[in-house]
Parts: sequence; structure tokens; C-alpha cells
Amino acid sequence: MSMDFEMGQQAGDLRRELRDLVKTHVPEHYLGAFTDNPADLETAQQFCRTLAESNLLCLAWPEEFGGGGASVWEQTVVREEMWAHHEPRGAQYMGVNWVGPIIMRHGTEEQQRKHLPPIARGEVIWCQGFSEPEAGSDLASLRTTARRDDDGWLVSGQKIWTSYATMAQWCFLLARTSKGEKKQQGLTIFLVPMDDPAIQVRPIRAMLGPHHLNEVFFDDLRVTEADVLGTVDAGWSIVQDVMSFERVGIARYARCERLLSAAPAVLGDRWDDLPAELRARWVRMLTHCRRARLMAYRVVDLQSSGRIQPGDAAAYRIAVTKLDQDSAEVLMDIAAEVGHDDPRAKWFLGEVEDHWRYSQASTVSSGSIEMQRILLSRALLAGAK
Amino acid sequence: MILDLGDDAKEYGRQALRAFEAAGGDQLVQQAEAKPDLRESLAGPVLSELGAWDLDARTDVDGLEAAAALCRSAGYWALPYPVAERLAKPTDLDVDGLIVVADIRPSGVVAGLESTWAAVSLAGVRSRVAGYGAAGPGFVAEVELSAVDDNGAGDVALGLVLPCWTLLGMLDRALELTIAHVSLRKQFGQTLSAFQGVQFQLTDAEVERSGLEILAKYALWSIATDRPEATDDALALRMSAIEAAEVVFRVCHQLHGAVGFCDETTLSWLSRYSQPLRRLPLGLSATRDELTRRVGGTGLTGLFS
Repeated sequence: MSMDFEMGQQAGDLRRELRDLVKTHVPEHYLGAFTDNPADLETAQQFCRTLAESNLLCLAWPEEFGGGGASVWEQTVVREEMWAHHEPRGAQYMGVNWVGPIIMRHGTEEQQRKHLPPIARGEVIWCQGFSEPEAGSDLASLRTTARRDDDGWLVSGQKIWTSYATMAQWCFLLARTSKGEKKQQGLTIFLVPMDDPAIQVRPIRAMLGPHHLNEVFFDDLRVTEADVLGTVDAGWSIVQDVMSFERVGIARYARCERLLSAAPAVLGDRWDDLPAELRARWVRMLTHCRRARLMAYRVVDLQSSGRIQPGDAAAYRIAVTKLDQDSAEVLMDIAAEVGHDDPRAKWFLGEVEDHWRYSQASTVSSGSIEMQRILLSRALLAGAK
Repeated sequence: MILDLGDDAKEYGRQALRAFEAAGGDQLVQQAEAKPDLRESLAGPVLSELGAWDLDARTDVDGLEAAAALCRSAGYWALPYPVAERLAKPTDLDVDGLIVVADIRPSGVVAGLESTWAAVSLAGVRSRVAGYGAAGPGFVAEVELSAVDDNGAGDVALGLVLPCWTLLGMLDRALELTIAHVSLRKQFGQTLSAFQGVQFQLTDAEVERSGLEILAKYALWSIATDRPEATDDALALRMSAIEAAEVVFRVCHQLHGAVGFCDETTLSWLSRYSQPLRRLPLGLSATRDELTRRVGGTGLTGLFS
């Protein structure tokens, strides 16, 4: 079989449908759900309901759980179009992308009945209780502890960098339930409601945006057997499973490409007056967008055929996170050439500035670039042994 | 989507790797440098045995993929012969191969060969090579051109893309050699590969190499499917190939240390013979300028825009 880079008719139709929905239901200057304007959160909530009504919210889920059983390429299109347009699903994307599928794999029937329908309707927001002040990349060193007693466990400790914690109804919490021989042993996942008075959330104001980062404190939070996901003390294998859902991660290249592609129209006749070197950097970034996109497709292809190895996704993750930051710098240089009083350019300036701020975290969040380098170098060197 | 060469093309590439090794492997380029006039006799027989000149890279998709795989294998051994340029030959001119040339000081890796050549400029002006200047490093010779027509726009993409596959093969090998070296060489009581400073440099190189690989496949497919933007895709590939080569060879030389410069080390041959592929017809800045000029404010068009 010869090469074929066409995604197919269905994926193309889906891309057009999603773009139409975004155009109709998402305001032009939308910068995501997590601004200081409550209307932006409402836009995301409403957009999720719209997607759910069109059976597009859980397109990737298996049909037995009410999903659309979409192909991996249709799932890729959803990821791309949503991220390109500032993720109008808001925080719900996390529930749809991996919390729901993980509960399908590891949850009891009761947990599936309880949690999957609200995720599928786009009604519920989850946060991920993983990182701690002393456990970032070295996650297994976490200190939040669940102490066993006659009624279940009492959880105490602190999580940090927890996105969406101020608005989440549920937390996917990782805590230590025993001390194993290895630090990866003795960890357990709990599904806990965020409205419990034993949980306190403190927002951390940051350049990424006002509602991205939070601290979460657990002070003897009561959890029971029914809240345990999977097996007690065997939570690390579920964490690995979560990571596998995040191998491709968010389609950063799609937003980079949308903003870069929009730049010439924003500048109009003045585009050709830009320094030649800046236009050359712009072309270079477009090429890097293509490169990252194709590397992502390779990971999707390997994953869907079960041939993926630990290092395969790492090269892509390094390339795409660097692209995010490099393209942000080029876009900021282009934006500096745009008049701030030009009403046609207002949305562009806002998006570029937001992109630059957010991109600063791309090599840190969801597995730092150093961790990706470690994974990739291990894979490279393993071949030499 | 099918993101890799077909099985037949990949198998052909593997056979070519073994055949080049059996024909002399790393010795071939060293022998050719000592006696450039021997290039044809050193590489010609093995290429004929592989059926290289029966491949139809112009009208047969399988032939095009096999040609790309062959170029990659030739690059792996730094085969001292313009395989890609031979495979890109136009069908309507009675020549043995095609080189893409710059408008100023047109040159190609054609020194010391008896073959007949056509040349095409990036604007699509075709010529016959009527004479050769003195040979420089890397078997490069300036060429004198005799104009034929300006119907060569369709020749440019293939003429640019196949040499990028050759360069990709060189990067494959350079990185493979470097990984082997840092896994053996010990300093301060441990192998170099145990140092994170070394490991992270390897990842820089691999990100570039693997990114180039997928772009090379895309540009090849763009030619195979007659996409109107195939030449832009080829220039985008070429720009990335040159950038990747800079990173990969810099890392590989650094991690080899002084031994990497020695003639007894294959890296030094790969590195120096990658130069013509990186400079001709245009180097990095000129390639980027050409791509920028061609795409204007439209950017790269493609499947997903």
C-alpha cells in the first residue's frame, strides 16, 4: 500500500461541521472559559450542551457507553478544531478525553452509572489531583495520605497547580494509602466530590490566566470504598493509563497554525512591508506546524495499531511544545507591527497575547520537556544495548 | 491515512542497504575521493544489479516510493554517486539525470562522471549540461548550460525531494553511529550515555531527524498525487532538511569528540559529504527566501488548512 495523507471524507465533513458550530455559537473574541468574564464560562457550558445534542461531545467514546465510536482521525479532528478555537468545551474536555474513558476501563458499574452520563451531557467539570508542592515530575513522591479507619479513609494533604479546581464538581485524586517497596506502590485513585467542606481551594493568580492554577487542601476528607477507582494501592497503573491518553495531548499546532495563517490578512497591504526576515520566520513556523501535525499523526497511527513504544510520543511532544513557544515569539513580533487602534486587528492582538502567555507553560505542563527528553533518550539508547 | 512507505519500497530499501554494504560500504566514498574517476565503476554495478534505473519515479507511485527508499539507503552509506539526481531524470529529454541548479554559478555533484545531464532552475528553465568546470570538494562541479525550454516547473519538486531522502539516510547513519559511540566510550568511570547532558543532545538530534522523516514522506506524497503546491512542499522539506542536518551533525560531532574528525571514523565522511546536499542548489537562507517569496501571504496550503 502506498502512502496516503488524506484523512477521508468523514473527517473532512466533521471538520467543516465543527467550524460551523464554533462560528455560530462561540463569540469572535473568545479566549477560552477561564477569563474573569463569567459569560465565557457560560459560553463553554452552552457549547458543550450543543455538542452533546449533536452527538459530537463524546464522539470518541465507544458506542456501548453512548459515544459515536469515531475513528481515530475523527477524534484527531475534534482535538484540532477545539484547541484551534480556544477549547470552547471549557474544562469539560478533560472529562470527555480521559476521565470518562478511564472510568469505563477501571470503574465499577455503579461508578460508571454515576459519572459517565453527566460527563457525556457536558454537565460536569473534573479536576485532576496529582501534582503536589514536593511532587511534580516525580509524581510518585506525593505526600497526600489516605489513612484507613473503620469507615474507609481520611485524606489529608495538599495538591497544587490544579486546573479548574474552583469550578470542578469532582476530583480525580491520587493519594498514598500504604508504603510499598517502591514509591509507585501503595497509591490509590479516589473519585471525590469537590463540594465537601473538608476540601479548600485557593486560586493562584498567574500569567496563564486568572482561573488556571489552584491549590487544593484536604483536611481529613472522608472517602469510602465506593470512591476508590480500581484496586486499593494499585493506582499507579491507572496513572500510567491516564498518561497514555495524554500521549498526543492537546493539538497545540492547530492554534499556532490558525493564528499564523491569519496574520497576513490582519496586516493587509502592510504584510509585504514587514521585514523580510520576519516573513521568513513566519514561513519557518508554518513548516514547523506542519511537521508537528504530521508527527502527531504518526503517534496516533502507532497508538491505534498498538505498535507505539514509550519514546514514540516524546519526540512529537518536544517538537510541539517548542513550536508553541517559538511561534508565539514570531506572532508577538508580527503583532508589534499591527496598529492597536485598528478595529480589524483587535481580536488578533488579543489572541496572540493570550497565546504567548499560555505557551510559556507548554514545556512545563502535562509532562515537562525534560521528562520527554528522558523518555526519548532512553528509547534511543535502548536500541544500542 | 497511510503514513509510511509501502512494504515493497521499504523492503527494496533494506535490500539496497545490504547490497551497498556488500559492494564496499564505507570504503566506497573513500575510494571515490582518492580517485573520482572511479565513481561510476564503484557504484554503477551495484545500482544496476538493484534495478535502480528501471524504477519509474515519474509516473508510478510504487516506483517513486522505491526511489525514495533507495536514496535513503544510498545516503546511509554516503554512496559516492548522484543516485537521486539520476532517478529524477526527465522523461522527455535524452539524458541520464537531472540536477536542480541556482541561477548563479549552477553546480551539481556530477564531477568525474560520463553521464549526460539536464538542469532545471527553480523557475523551471531547463537546460542541457554542455560543459564542466573544475571539480571541487564533494564531487561538485560548476556546469555550463545550454538552454532547452522553460517547461521544467514540474521537474523541480522531484529534483529537490529525492536528494532530501539521501540526506535523511545520512542523518539516520550519523545518529546511529553516535548512539553506538556514546554507549561504548567511557569517561569518569561511566559511559558517555549515562550523562544527561549527552542524552539531551541526542534527543535534540532525534527530534530533527524524525521530523524530517515525516516531512519527507509528505512531500513525496505531494508529488505522487500531483498536488499543485508540490514545489512549495519540496522547498519546505528542503529548508527543514538543511536545518535538521545542521543540528544532527553538530550534535554527532560534539558527542564523538576528536575521533569524529578522523578519517578512520565514518562520521567524518558522512559529515563532509553531506555538504553538497545542504548547499546545492541553495543553502538554508536562500532556500528560506525562495519559499517565502513563493508562498507570499498565502502560506503553506495543504490538506488541513
